[in-house]
Order: sequence, then C-alpha cells, then structure tokens
Amino acid sequence: MSHLLEVKNLQTHFTVDRNVVKAVDGVSYYVDEGEVVAVVGESGSGKSVTQYSGIQLIPTPPGKIVGGEVLFNGKNLLQLSGEELRQVRGGEIGVVFQEPMTSLNPVLTIGYQIIETIILHLKINKKDARKHAIELLKSVGIPDAEERIDYYPHQFSGGMRQRVCIAMARACNPKILIADEATTALDVTTQAQILEMLKDIVKETKTSIVLVTHNLGIVARYADRIYVMYAGEIVESGTTKEIFSSPKHPYTISLLNAIPRLDDPKGRQLIPIDGIPPSLINKRDICAFLPRCLHRTAACSFKPAPKLESVGGNHYTACHEDIKAEAILEVAAARAAVENSSTEIFHHRQLDNENLLEVKNLKMYFPVTKGIMKRKVADVKAVDDVSFFIKKGETLGLVGESGCGKTTIIRSILRMYEPTSGEVIFDGQNIAKMPKSKLRPIRKNISLVFQDPFSSLDPRQSAGSIVGEPLIIHQLTKTKQEYENRVNELFELVGLNPAWKNRVPHEFSGGQRQRIGIARALASNPSFIVCDEAISALDVSIQAQIINLLEDLQKKLGLTYLFVAHDLSVVRHISDRVVVMYLGKIVEVADWKSLYENPLHPYTKGLLAAVPIPDPFVEETRDHVMLEGEIPSVMNRPNGCAFINRCPMATKECSEVEPPLVETEEGHSVACIKVGKEVGL
Amino acid sequence: MTTEIIASERVVEQEVKKTSNTLRFFRVFLARKTVVASLAIILIMIICAIFAPLIAPFDPYKQDYSQILSEPSLAHPFGTDLVGRDVLSRIIYGSQAALLVGIVSVAIASVIGIILGLFSGYVGGLIDAIIMRAMDALMAIPPIILAVVFVAAFGGGLTNVIITLGLSLVPTYARLMRGQVLAIRESDFIVAQELMGSTNLRNMIKHVLPNCISPLIVLITLNFGVAILAEAGLSFLGLGIVPPKAAWGSMINDGYKYLLSNPILSFAPGMAVVLVVVAFNIVGDALRDALDPRLKGTL
Repeated sequence: MSHLLEVKNLQTHFTVDRNVVKAVDGVSYYVDEGEVVAVVGESGSGKSVTQYSGIQLIPTPPGKIVGGEVLFNGKNLLQLSGEELRQVRGGEIGVVFQEPMTSLNPVLTIGYQIIETIILHLKINKKDARKHAIELLKSVGIPDAEERIDYYPHQFSGGMRQRVCIAMARACNPKILIADEATTALDVTTQAQILEMLKDIVKETKTSIVLVTHNLGIVARYADRIYVMYAGEIVESGTTKEIFSSPKHPYTISLLNAIPRLDDPKGRQLIPIDGIPPSLINKRDICAFLPRCLHRTAACSFKPAPKLESVGGNHYTACHEDIKAEAILEVAAARAAVENSSTEIFHHRQLDNENLLEVKNLKMYFPVTKGIMKRKVADVKAVDDVSFFIKKGETLGLVGESGCGKTTIIRSILRMYEPTSGEVIFDGQNIAKMPKSKLRPIRKNISLVFQDPFSSLDPRQSAGSIVGEPLIIHQLTKTKQEYENRVNELFELVGLNPAWKNRVPHEFSGGQRQRIGIARALASNPSFIVCDEAISALDVSIQAQIINLLEDLQKKLGLTYLFVAHDLSVVRHISDRVVVMYLGKIVEVADWKSLYENPLHPYTKGLLAAVPIPDPFVEETRDHVMLEGEIPSVMNRPNGCAFINRCPMATKECSEVEPPLVETEEGHSVACIKVGKEVGL
Repeated sequence: MTTEIIASERVVEQEVKKTSNTLRFFRVFLARKTVVASLAIILIMIICAIFAPLIAPFDPYKQDYSQILSEPSLAHPFGTDLVGRDVLSRIIYGSQAALLVGIVSVAIASVIGIILGLFSGYVGGLIDAIIMRAMDALMAIPPIILAVVFVAAFGGGLTNVIITLGLSLVPTYARLMRGQVLAIRESDFIVAQELMGSTNLRNMIKHVLPNCISPLIVLITLNFGVAILAEAGLSFLGLGIVPPKAAWGSMINDGYKYLLSNPILSFAPGMAVVLVVVAFNIVGDALRDALDPRLKGTL
C-alpha cells in the first residue's frame, strides 16, 4: 500500500562554523490520507526541520539535504524543480506557522493575501477567488467574513490571525496541512477552539494533518499516530494509544513522567529528565539519549545507535533494551527517595496562618489620552478592584488568559507601576504608596523570577556576579570571602556547579539560565518570591527540573510564592490556593482541590475543559465543551459581568449588575450571580 | 557515576561553544583580504607617526633651495616642494598630525556623546528633551562652518581643530548611544536591577553601558577616518594646522597650484588621506560584521 506522504531515511545537515549539525538524521515516516499525525519533541529535536526539508523550505546554505527521499503521491519532492515544487507547497501541502503575528504581511489585507495564493494555484479569476476566500474564512470560523476580508492583520486578535493563516494554508484544498506549533502561542481556550476546528476539517475534507508540537496533551487529544523525535532521530512511533499506554523508549517514558497532569494525584513528584538535550554538532554513532537515560547499561555506550525496531504491530522503538515503564519509574523513585529522604511530602507542609501579603482593592488604571494637550478621555482598567491574600509559606497560583491583568498585578505589587489606588500590605507594611527611598530596604524581601531566561540576565556579566548583585546592592556581605562563599552556596542551592561562576549567560542552556535567575532571586534571602511564568519558556523535560527545584527551595527555606502562569496543570501541581482572573477582575478563588474538582465559575469550567490531558483514554471520556469567543479588549469591557459574551449561562440580568465576589463555602469565592443563586446565597 | 557523565558532557559542550565564539569573531573579522590590507595600512601609519624621525629620510622643515620643485627621484621619491622640502618626509610627519587629530577628537566626541546619550536615554523626560534638542542644533550646523566660526573666533592650530572636530562629532555618539540605551533599558535584566533596589547610576554604568558598547566601537573606528578627512579639509582651507607644520591637507593646498606641472605634490598627500580613510572605513565595517551581525547595514 502506498502512503500519501512517505519520507525515507531523510538526512538534513547544517554547517555551522565549519561543524556539521545533523539536524535530521535518518528519519523515516509516513502520512496517510485523513490522518492526524503528531511529531513530538523538544526544541532542537529536528521536528520542524524534518517537515520543512520535505518541501525544501530550509535555508541552503547552511542547510543541505544530504540523503533520503520524500515521496508525495509517488513523486520524489527532493527532485522537483522550482516551478513544480511551488505547485506542491502552498498547493498540495499547506503550512501553518507558530507565530501568527509574523506570518502575515502587515501592510496587505488578509483578503489580498489569500486571494493571491488562490489565483496562483487555482488559476481562477479575481472575482471567483474572492468568493472562494470568503468561503474559506467562513469555514475557519471568522464571523462577518464578507466584511473582514478587507481587514489588515493587525485588526485581528492572535487567535483570529491563526485562523486566517489556516484559511490561507487551506486555500487550494491541500492534501496535507502541516501545523508547526500552530497553537503554542495561543491561549488555552483559543488553542482548543483552533484544534477542534482542524479536527472538523480532517473529518469533512479528508485532509491529513501533521501536528508538530511539544505539548503531549494536544497529541493525546487529537493525534491518531505519533512520532517521538529526539536529537534529530525518531526514537519511537506508534498509534497514540499504544504510545501512551505502553511507551517503550526511555525518553518517551521519562517525558510522560516529567509533565504535571490535570488529573494527577496532588502529591506526585515530577520525575525530571536529567541534563540537557545533546548538541547535534559532530554527532557520534551512539544512542543520543544515553547520558540522560535512567535505564542505560554499560553495554549501551559501546553499541552503535539503536535502530527503530517493531515491538508489536506498528509500534516501533529505538532502544537496545526491552524496557517497561514501571522499571523506569522504580529506578526514578529509588533515586528520588535517596535525594529527598529528609524532606516531607509537599502537601504536608505546615502553613502559617499569618498573611505575608495582602492586596486590598488594588486598582491599576492607565489613562487614555487624546490630542496635543494629552487630555484624559478614559481609563484602561487593567486591574480593577482586586483583593486577595497570601499566607506565609504557601503558594498562590494566579491564572487567566493573556490580557486578563496578571502581569499588571505583579507589576503593581512590585511597584514597577504606581497603583492607582488600593493597598498592598507586605509583612504588615503598606507598600503601595511608600516613597521609593523607604521601599529600597523592603525590596530585598521580595524577589521576582522572570519568564524569559534569556533577556533577564545581563549578557555581559558573569553568572557569579549576576547572582552576587543583590548582595552588593544591599551590602549583605562584608568581606570578599564572605561574598564568594555566599555565591557558591547559592549556586549549589539551585543545582549549579560553582566552578561555572565565571561563565557568561550565553554559555548556559535555558534551564541553567533559569537556575541562575532563581539563584539571584534567592540571594538577598527573601521571604516572598513572585514567579512570572517562570517555567513557560522552558522545554518540557526541563520544566520538571525547575518545578521540583522551586518546590525543594520552598521546603528548605520556607518561601512564599506567587506563581503566575497560564498552564493550569502546572499551577494545579504547585499551588495551595488558586486565583482565577478575567479582564482585570478576580472571578474565582479557592484552594486547589475545590477549584479543580468543583469549579463554580463558568469561566473556570471552560478553562479547565480546554486543557488537554496527556492520556488518550482519559481524553476519550471527557466531553469537550468549548468556551466560545475570545477575551475582549479591556478598552470595551461589557457592562455587568465581563464574561457575559462567552458565558453559556448568561441571561439579561447578568448585563445589569457587576457580580461581586462572594464566598460560597469556606475559602471558595466566586463572582457570578448565577452560581451564587444555585448554592443559595 | 550518572551525574559525572552528565557533568562531563556538559563541560565538553560548553568548551566547544566558547572557542567557537572567539574563533568566529576573528574568522569573520579577517575573512576578507581587504581587511588585512587595511589593518596593515593603519599599522604602517601608526608606526610612521611614532617613529617619524627615524623613518623620514630628510628633515621635513629643512628648506633646500637647490632642489625646488624637483621631479621624483631616488633621493626624493615624491619630489620636493616649493621651498625644496622632501615631500615623502613631510607625508610621514603629516601622519602625526592626522593620528593626533583622529584620536583626540574622537576621544572627546565619544566620551561626551556617550555620557550625554546614556543620561538622555536612561533618565528620559525633560533632561532627554533638552539634551537631544541641543544635539539637533549642533547637528544642524555643518562641521566645516562650525570650524570656520571657531577658528575665526579663537584662531587656528592643532588644539582648536581638535576641539572643533570633537564637538561636531558629539551628536552622532549621543544619538546612537541614546537609541541603544532605550532598547537595553526595557530589558528584563534592568527591571531585575530596579526590583533589587539598585541605584540608577549603578545600573547605567555597570549594566547599560557595557551592553551598548559594541556599535559604539564600530562608530569610533569609522570616525577616525571622518576626523582625519575633516582635518585635511580644514588644513586645505588654511583653517587647520598652521604651517610650516606638516599636515596632509595643507600639503595638498600647497601643491595644487602646480597640479599640471608637478601633480605628485598634491597627489602623494592626497593618496595618504584616501588610503588611511578607506582603511579605517573597511576595518570599521568588518568590525561591525564581526561584533554584531544584526547591525549589518545600520551604521
């Protein structure tokens, strides 16, 4: 039987500084008609390059396809000439890229861009092309398509732009749609909407989809078959159920153990994968996962790299050993037991009853000015009357879609912004209006861990002096020796080798840089640490390392965290209590258990339903209630309940009153008049 | 055992990265033969300036009336001028003035410009507005006019030429620096500094400045050429270095009356100016490509 797309032993190499990087090293796979195939791997594993090699979208030089063939409908794409190739890409194979912001031309209307593609490939006249474009836009769920076809990309939100990109990729009824991390940059609810739409497209048109992603949850929910890539090679392949129920390759097994899940037992320790992905420069013929493998044997290091072998039916894996998931778990558990023998389990941590931070009626308005005189015409209410507290030693999770005011809250608490009104009481002192000079000594008790481990470290300073900076600023160490000792101590605390002190940030990997950022945050011995999406920029296998580090540090040093994130599984894993925000207001506050097991607010319910669980069997039983629409702009906030436009429960009375945050049971508050009625308040 | 393997793997990888970075710089920098040749020209110029008395075959000021306006010969490769001075020796001595003007005026301009730009960009607000409008005003006056006014008011000579050129180059540095600072200021690591309670001065000097410096190094290199050219221009107009001191510009001026009969008199110092200025430009471009590939074409 011939496949729609069959890639055989593909080899793509890049030449970087006279070194050969084997980005794709002998990859073979196939895609059948009407199938959703997922290619999973961390960044740098070669998953995108594999896809782009087939349609020759890789830059040459430095890239070069040195071997293999890509058969599409029987034609070898690697031998096609320019014109034939152009007909295939964009015509028969469509691509949707990760960044909807940059993959559309900002100075042309979306209609022009779609029509251009249609005319190019289908050779029809402009009027028909326009009609076709409008149909396409409708099919990807863009309302008022007739009118919006003449809009420019900036007039659309991120999710809508991604829909436009999909419409464009589908313009010529492609047989294959490659979605390269197409939903990674989107909010979880938008991501779910887009993926559901893609699924419907597959059903209706028999188009095949290649999902390139690192998100195992998405894969479990949508893919039929999976290829797991590591270091430029496919290490395991099979149907989604096979791979999730009996993963065979130690990398796949470890990956599944490293990610927090929405249905985890709370105490579960994440089992991180040691080390960092290997550099692909001058790769040797040896198992690439070897240094990070928990199941390696002495023999592995002498054998040539393992080849994919069938372990039953269509399930292939590339490993010397016959491994069972349980065996790896045992090894990991044994190791974890040794490491954590002295520390108690996370949720048994004793919480103080004292509030470390209390935010009362915090408002952060940004004035909208107009004209030469900068007359104030309106306020953008980025944070509108928000109150919450954090107890000593607890972790408060703060979640919500982008644009809900999470970052503004952090910035007002940290006094990067001057709050419009309200109180921020830290350790008994109101710091909201405190003059900067009095604030300075308090700063050493509050630290921030940034999202981006690349831009948050001074590229010109050595790691040691970055970590030591707070010590100097607050004059915490008296002698040179004391300073050095403290820096060494901090390095060890976050699991870095103090011998690396003199290196500059770019010599570290992303995860290591985040450790440096954490070490810097800890340097002044703070009691309170704000983590602003601290792990979302990291690779899946590294995330678990950092989550565990944060948890360990909390146990050792009694820290209090404000953990801001959009990943609800991670927040569930790490938080004691969770605050859900929508459009500058808190809609629900509860301890993690009642929030995740008994969410009250329709928004919370929608968010949770949108999070995919990395388990195809669980996913089958969940009903996918999608939250409609997108978060509106803060500028035109609806009257009454802000959630009214997307709420399945909304009635007329919701538009009349702004729902107050009321406590339905102890520690669980919700801002919805409907829910309030239901529980009899 | 397990951790050892991982640690050693990491170390190996880091070493590879480190060497390849320094290597990359030199590989890009010295990739073209023109760059090597330009570096050689600059080196020769510097040697000439420092060791002029040892290298020059004649005293550049000694007038020899038996050798007025002589043709190029073995003894005088570029001939002699109106009063019988050896042109080659005068060119060699002229490099002293060129180098001095280049270094000192660029030093004045860059130090003042960097400080102004740093404050302007970091502090912002009214200070920014005042400094930048002053820079605009200074930029609006062509350097030659500025020099004419300055020399007319305070007289010619090396010092005044240097001061004038230095001042007229300040706005370029201030503007470039300000742009860099504005970008760096928004980085997370500066936010991190502020959250630690660090002072503005500390942030500016320790964190902002080092991160802004690489495009400025490129600009400094390019400006050596600009300053040397401007000095030659001023001296040609008679506003620069006062005769009999040797300067390339005034030598061109001396010689151009005999352009038809004895072209080498103007041509030789002219070539010296062209060679040095082009050399500095090529080195500056190469430096830019090597230091920061993203800057390509922006300076």
